[in-house]
Amino acid sequence: MTTTFQLNGESCRFDGDPMTPLIDLLRRDRFMTGTKAVCREGFCGACIVHVESEPVPACLRPVGLLEGLSVTTIEGASQFDAEAQRLQAAFERVDAVQCGMCFPGMVMSLSEFLRENSRADRDAVKHAMVGNICRCTGYERIVDAVMECLAEGEHAGGADV
Amino acid sequence: MSEVERTIMNLPRRDAPDKLRGRTRYTNDRMDATTLHTALLRSTVPAGRIVRLNVSRALKCPGVRAVATAADAPGLFGIGVADHPLFASDTIRYIGEPIAAVAAETQEQARAAVAAIELEVEPFAPVLTMEEALAAGARLVHENWRNYEDLFEGGSRRGNVAWEAKAVRGDVDAAFAQPDVRIVESTFRVGRQNHVPFEPRVAICTWEDDRAHIQTSTQVPWTVRNVTGKVMGLPPGRVRVTVPPVGGGFGLKFDATIEPITAVLARKTGRTVMIENSRTEEMTTCLCRENADIRIRSAVTADGEIVGREATVLMDCGAYGGEQIFLTTMTAHTLGGNYRLGAVRLTSRAIYTNTPPNGAFRACNGVYNTFALERHTDEICAELGFDPIEFRRRNVLGDGDLGATGQVFEGEVLRPMLERMEALREKVGSARERAAGRLYGRATTVGTWFIFVGPSSATVNLNADGSATLVTSGVEIGSGTMTQSLPQIVAGQLGLDPRDVIVKQADTDAAGLDVGVGGGRTTVSIGAASIEACVPIRENLLKTASEMLQTPPERLALRNGRVEIAAIPGSGATVAAVVQRAQSIGGPVTGTGSFTAKNVPAMAGCAMGHFIEAIDIPVFAVHDAEVAVDPETGHVEVLSYNVVQDVGRALNPRAIHGQVQGGVVQGLGYALHEEVTLGPQGEIRQSGFETYRLPLALDAVPVAIDLYEGAPSMGPLGTKGAGEVPILNTAATIACAVANATGRRIQQIPLTPPRVLCILRGREPELSHPHISADWLQNTLD
Ligand code: FES
Ligand code: FES
Repeated sequence: MTTTFQLNGESCRFDGDPMTPLIDLLRRDRFMTGTKAVCREGFCGACIVHVESEPVPACLRPVGLLEGLSVTTIEGASQFDAEAQRLQAAFERVDAVQCGMCFPGMVMSLSEFLRENSRADRDAVKHAMVGNICRCTGYERIVDAVMECLAEGEHAGGADV
Repeated sequence: MSEVERTIMNLPRRDAPDKLRGRTRYTNDRMDATTLHTALLRSTVPAGRIVRLNVSRALKCPGVRAVATAADAPGLFGIGVADHPLFASDTIRYIGEPIAAVAAETQEQARAAVAAIELEVEPFAPVLTMEEALAAGARLVHENWRNYEDLFEGGSRRGNVAWEAKAVRGDVDAAFAQPDVRIVESTFRVGRQNHVPFEPRVAICTWEDDRAHIQTSTQVPWTVRNVTGKVMGLPPGRVRVTVPPVGGGFGLKFDATIEPITAVLARKTGRTVMIENSRTEEMTTCLCRENADIRIRSAVTADGEIVGREATVLMDCGAYGGEQIFLTTMTAHTLGGNYRLGAVRLTSRAIYTNTPPNGAFRACNGVYNTFALERHTDEICAELGFDPIEFRRRNVLGDGDLGATGQVFEGEVLRPMLERMEALREKVGSARERAAGRLYGRATTVGTWFIFVGPSSATVNLNADGSATLVTSGVEIGSGTMTQSLPQIVAGQLGLDPRDVIVKQADTDAAGLDVGVGGGRTTVSIGAASIEACVPIRENLLKTASEMLQTPPERLALRNGRVEIAAIPGSGATVAAVVQRAQSIGGPVTGTGSFTAKNVPAMAGCAMGHFIEAIDIPVFAVHDAEVAVDPETGHVEVLSYNVVQDVGRALNPRAIHGQVQGGVVQGLGYALHEEVTLGPQGEIRQSGFETYRLPLALDAVPVAIDLYEGAPSMGPLGTKGAGEVPILNTAATIACAVANATGRRIQQIPLTPPRVLCILRGREPELSHPHISADWLQNTLD
């Protein structure tokens, strides 16, 4: 069985077992290693990608369920997604990164969050991060960076009205 | 500006842009279509004898290229004692122990072939706890312990006691017999903590020019080189180790157990071979922070002087000695630290059990000894009616005080740090009103840690474009040392912009010996070696420029990428021009430096079985926390957290703050909900993220931080490592705060809601520790 979907804006055809988790297609077949496999159980968020603009753990999504859909990974988002780029710049600015393994997933889930919640407070940001674990940083700087992005959005006039 | 001032800055990390974009290639991102994958046959029983092992069916499975067993790597390795084989050959000692490894074209094929291996085991009754291991007539986990090679002189070991270290100073019996003392006794128990670095242990080996080239996610490239050579019976120089960016370590990656397997398989197949632990393997065979049992007694006078103290610490090393053997050394400095003591005797023993081996974890040994010591201190205060902060202020180690092994501490550090904590508490204010009806508690604790020095080397090459290349065996595990403090140090010495300092990834073929990244040592040890490497380079640059500029070298300064006439900013020549000139006259401009421990003296006869008798660079920490305990659910919420940390000198304050925040939150996990439990066969029950509860964003609190500078340090530019210490007294502080909130004794961590509820309802059983005698001498070998 063949599955065809859009991967970072290009058509991607997969002929293997449709139950193959998307993470394995990305990492093992395509050597797109920006998406990290950490728990492979849906808990850590390191593998988050966007499927039709929804953040989804790639370890839990069988490729067969992607027929006709559009998938964006950290590689694509870093190039095309303004929200992701804003977050990346903020993470650099506050020196948030340590080992770095959780950050591709953090960028992918928080960029969607920023788009949807332009007025969130600190507590809401922390709640939004329940699916993204970081073992190194103790989180607060990551939240600081998101708060900076939210404040920037506010200054820019709250584009969501 | 002085060199030191020039070195201090909040330099951002050069590796962040790639890490944020998923471009960084960690070791586990380095497979390609030609890589062979590996699966391990692991023991499913905790103890037994291998009666039959036949791999011939596995070898015939599709895609299989090689199978490795103990026959391919017969050597034993270890720390202090060579007790550890790469594969179980005859005796099995824990669930999960590797017995064979299969390399195949795909992971699935490797796994299928593992299932085809024929294995017959005669099981033994396992020794699962330290209590069982120490019982009279207990089965020996290592029957042939006597025959093992000793790798370090002077330790005592016997039977299931893998190692014993003792510190004895003064007449403790006399102190306890004094008529004017009260004796306070406490017992404690702590469980294991899993490191959970996000990148698992992973290694890739190719066999090149009849040598192994291992790329691995390690903290200790030289250990990997030496262990691989040892088990394969090769000179270690036949092994080259290079280290890509490491996705977290925290001490887990201080050993070498998978790398040699890749080397054996790469040699057999002539192909590139990768082993990547699955998360389940990683969780269940992780070299956890060890569980420990502690008994401590103190004799204290009515005016609060601690005239005598004795303690026994049992550390579960699991099936093999590993790091715990070394870590027995630390008790003298962690449990024996913090306070001025009259007479003291401490014994610390690593005990074999048929459970997965334990390892080193950030401030290893220190976190639970500090928990025990600070709880014990509060119990003393409660019994004798002292104010806990006042008691600490009065008794903490100060200038000229003796440590447990008789080393003399220099400088007043902890006392002024306690004052700074007072000021910080005032500045931040209390979060008490957020307790809102729950039980509220607060505590301040102190901690003593050290910087693990030891050998490091550095080479600096100056390039014709005015940049410098720093070559060391340092590894970037996430703490930022390789991307921040080291380039800052080199740039400060040579008057360069730190962005013009290229830092080479660790490669044992290119850089000299190093004991690895851990113990907060990188900035200190590699930093000192780097400064030494810059000395001849500075001389060369100044001499060459002196001729070019017709100015004596004393009147020149290296700054802003130039060699300037000191009095005239912007004058002189660029470093690039001077290097080009120097190269044309005398060849390449280069320098090397090395560093090792200075060996501060202990008192003769005080330390037995210690790998380090005194600590060269002590580090102190003062922590303070407020908690709210929900009496209905037993849930503990941390309301505020404050840290005053002794850093010697902060070269990159922002980076250090990041380490403190991260370390404290890791410590909160240890204190409150990271729980490893062992099943009936000694297996680790928490096999994934669903059952092992890591701290989430909602568990974190912003830590208020005050960096204490100026304490004496032999580190370069007055530095001390800052990344390891933040976790040190987190469990101690939370446990003391919870004890204050509940009015109950806290003897065990983690303080999970069920445990806290038991404590609140008086149902937590008293810890009697029948396996630790009240007679201290009975807890020692000779
Ligand atoms: S790897 Fe997918 S959520 Fe952890
Ligand atoms: S930076 Fe290491 S896991 Fe987040």
